[in-house]
Amino acid sequence: MTEETTNETLFIQHFNEESRPLEYYLKKMNGYSTLKKALTMSCDEIINEVKKSNLRGRGGAGFPAGMKWSFIPKQSSKPKYLVCNADESEPGTFKDRDLMRYTPHLLLEGMGIAAYAIGANSAYIYIRGEYVREAKLLQCAIDEAYAAGFLGKNLLGSGFNFDITVHRGAGAYICGEETGLLNSLEGKRGEPRVKPPFPAQVGAFGGPTIVNNVETLCAVPFIISKGGEWYSKLGRLEKSGGTRLFGVSGHVKKPGLYELPSGGVTLRELIYDYCHGILDDRKLKAVIPGGSSTPVLTSDEIDVVLDVDPLMKAGSMLGSAAVIVISDAYCVVRLIERITKFYEHESCGQCTPCREGCRWMENILHRIEHGQGKEQDLGLLLDIADNINGKTLCALGDAAAGPVSSFVRKFRADFEAHIRGGKCPNA
Amino acid sequence: MPKCVIDGREVEFKPGENLIEVAKRVGVKIPYFCYHPGLSVVGQCRMCAVEIEKMPKLQAACSTPATDGMIVKTQSERAKKNQKSVMEFLLINHPLDCPICDKSGECDLQDFSYTYGDAYSRYTEERRTYADLDMGPVIKKNMNRCIHCTRCIRFGDEIAGIREMVATRRGNNTEISTMNGIPLETEYAGNYSDICPTGSLTLKDFRFKKRAWFLKKTATICEGCSRGCNMEIQQDGNIIYRCIARENLEINKYWLCDEGRFNFQYVNDEKRICNPQVHKGEGLSASRWEESLGIAKNAVTGKKPLVLIGSDMTLEETAEILNFLKQNFKDTTTFHFGTPGIYSSTNDGYEDEILKMKSKTSNLCGLEKMGLKGFEHTPVGVDTAVIFRGGRAVLPNLKGIKTIIGIGVFLQQQAKDFRVILPGLSFAEKKGTIINFEGREQKISPAIKPVGQSMAVEDVLSLWQAGELKATTESNTGKKEKVLEL
Repeated sequence: MTEETTNETLFIQHFNEESRPLEYYLKKMNGYSTLKKALTMSCDEIINEVKKSNLRGRGGAGFPAGMKWSFIPKQSSKPKYLVCNADESEPGTFKDRDLMRYTPHLLLEGMGIAAYAIGANSAYIYIRGEYVREAKLLQCAIDEAYAAGFLGKNLLGSGFNFDITVHRGAGAYICGEETGLLNSLEGKRGEPRVKPPFPAQVGAFGGPTIVNNVETLCAVPFIISKGGEWYSKLGRLEKSGGTRLFGVSGHVKKPGLYELPSGGVTLRELIYDYCHGILDDRKLKAVIPGGSSTPVLTSDEIDVVLDVDPLMKAGSMLGSAAVIVISDAYCVVRLIERITKFYEHESCGQCTPCREGCRWMENILHRIEHGQGKEQDLGLLLDIADNINGKTLCALGDAAAGPVSSFVRKFRADFEAHIRGGKCPNA
Repeated sequence: MPKCVIDGREVEFKPGENLIEVAKRVGVKIPYFCYHPGLSVVGQCRMCAVEIEKMPKLQAACSTPATDGMIVKTQSERAKKNQKSVMEFLLINHPLDCPICDKSGECDLQDFSYTYGDAYSRYTEERRTYADLDMGPVIKKNMNRCIHCTRCIRFGDEIAGIREMVATRRGNNTEISTMNGIPLETEYAGNYSDICPTGSLTLKDFRFKKRAWFLKKTATICEGCSRGCNMEIQQDGNIIYRCIARENLEINKYWLCDEGRFNFQYVNDEKRICNPQVHKGEGLSASRWEESLGIAKNAVTGKKPLVLIGSDMTLEETAEILNFLKQNFKDTTTFHFGTPGIYSSTNDGYEDEILKMKSKTSNLCGLEKMGLKGFEHTPVGVDTAVIFRGGRAVLPNLKGIKTIIGIGVFLQQQAKDFRVILPGLSFAEKKGTIINFEGREQKISPAIKPVGQSMAVEDVLSLWQAGELKATTESNTGKKEKVLEL
């Protein structure tokens, strides 16, 4: 890592076509020097450094990465695995794509360090099927790394063997759920597994496995290079270190990726200062702060600091930090109908509340949006959502139920206008 | 032993036991659909979710191992609301066609709906429907009734060793079926119906034959092979409608093969000879007991008959026969028979990796223990044979034998050249003891009364011997009855 990185951003400054080749990574980003350093450290030292960094998982749940790594048993009769979750499929999220597109070697180096720390000799990058181009780019980077000795047998003379395989998904949202991902990786139906056992005990092919998001793994070289404390201080909150990529989409003047310190800005600042406000200078209607599965916030609730814990306190989630901004030009009923349709379509169908409840909610929302709603529908929707929330095998149920109950509770007047008026007022 | 508390009842458990099993032991029935003690745990139906102290979310009891000091509430407000909600979710797309469903009366979905469900439905949308493809001769599928518990998929995968039931499509459209409707291949397909918690997979053989609640059930042992699987015969009006597996973890766990399951069909078959018959030149014709016994006696008088005892006869019956032979015949050669090529238990062995044995009779070991050898070929100079048979043993090739007396269960086709047939009891009509291939003694029990004039071996032999039956002899059927005097 060069000194410049600290002043600017860790990632975004490199987000251009020139930074992709190994040559750039070696020259401008001091590439693979951290891997070399890590290979001289002990596993515990690396894990401790990551713990100190307060790096929280960037995939959606925000689980402390160092702690996750420490769950891997030191001794295992079965091979251990590292899996990079690149199945970026949460609607609104587009950060991992750019990381893989522009800084693939950063990911590979992060994976090398992580694999060494947990004692895994093989790793998979499970990339969503639609990322055809990124899968090719990753494969090119992997080939480059093998040729240069950063992957393969006896890495940099350390005696550590490490292989990475790119595995393309087949287009299912549920395969972003870590155990659904593992099933899919093993060639089975993409259905989440019963937990416990957690992947750290029984994961891919029965071996202890760590599944980390692309952005999480990309942060690892910085942490090992500059120290966990340094990384932690990049964040503005106690339990949340580093910078974060926010993918802003929807009705703002300047949508796109923003890299900001963890907990460094409020939602209002992000929308009005960084993204230059609402499109066509309309009024802000709603914000979905962390990808379509997170409960919606109204325009009165945007002074919340954008990070895991503050948003949790505000009744929503940071998720994958995919901020979807909705102006008053768009019908929120239509929006939640569309979101629910997505989860209905993506439900794997194995557990009852999600399989049956998502379709039911979608049917009701469809009726309301099309003027066929009934007074009792709103109470029913809230009850169905409550019957799904927290009762399912994996988090997809919560992902479907949370938005529905938050939209109905926070925008009840819009729903009632649809029901009473017998049509969508915006139509 | 560690202890936990379930609904206020303290209970000990073995580490690793799940909450459903632990709760059963203190009489707490946690409702479930996808869980089955013989299959892997998937935690899919969510019906068994319970509240556990110090855990924020409800936990599926099937996938939660008990831990020391755990406090479980299966009837808390939250657990009850979840049970009600899962029932609602499962029923919104279920056709509720219980009046014409064969599963009705023994259906988990129906029973739990009665206990945990709501009398009113809030569902006003259109119900999901499927078009069903045929699945072969054993199982009829009705996908509309399916609740996606995946027990059948796991049974095929984990027990039958064949991944023939699969889930196709996804989410709300998930369909459970064979790929493209190819027929089921497993020889254990009947179990699909046993484990299905709804009427989605029913036996074609049983379809629309009888309401489940009219069936009288008798616990007994299958006679299909030397394993001796535990099963239940279900009958009404002295007609057997079906057999289902009975749990015995040492022998057959929860399963039954199709061969054993449908073996009962000969019992009420119209081709079964249920009255004494004699051969009078042009095939068999009905006779009376005294006439046929007279002919039989004459046929063997002064001869050294070959005596064959089917290894589908019980120990008690065999003892009775051997005793009879000792008293009435100076010189007989006696063998057991049952399965072509299986002359002793050393020839027996596993036919597959699941339950089936090579010996297709249930008491091969028993008859061997009584000192009998397997029949291989007719001894020189013998032209008369007496055959005792339960209904399962395969008749051997009796080259050189001119006169055959059959005592027991025979179909018309099998006995068309016999001189005399004295009808006996099948496994479903008698009690007795059999010994399986591992040497386990098990009791069979009569499920129905003897069909027609069929009579216990003991009684037939008494008649033969004494010309009369003692008026109060307790026969093998457990009934005291007076039989005609000769």
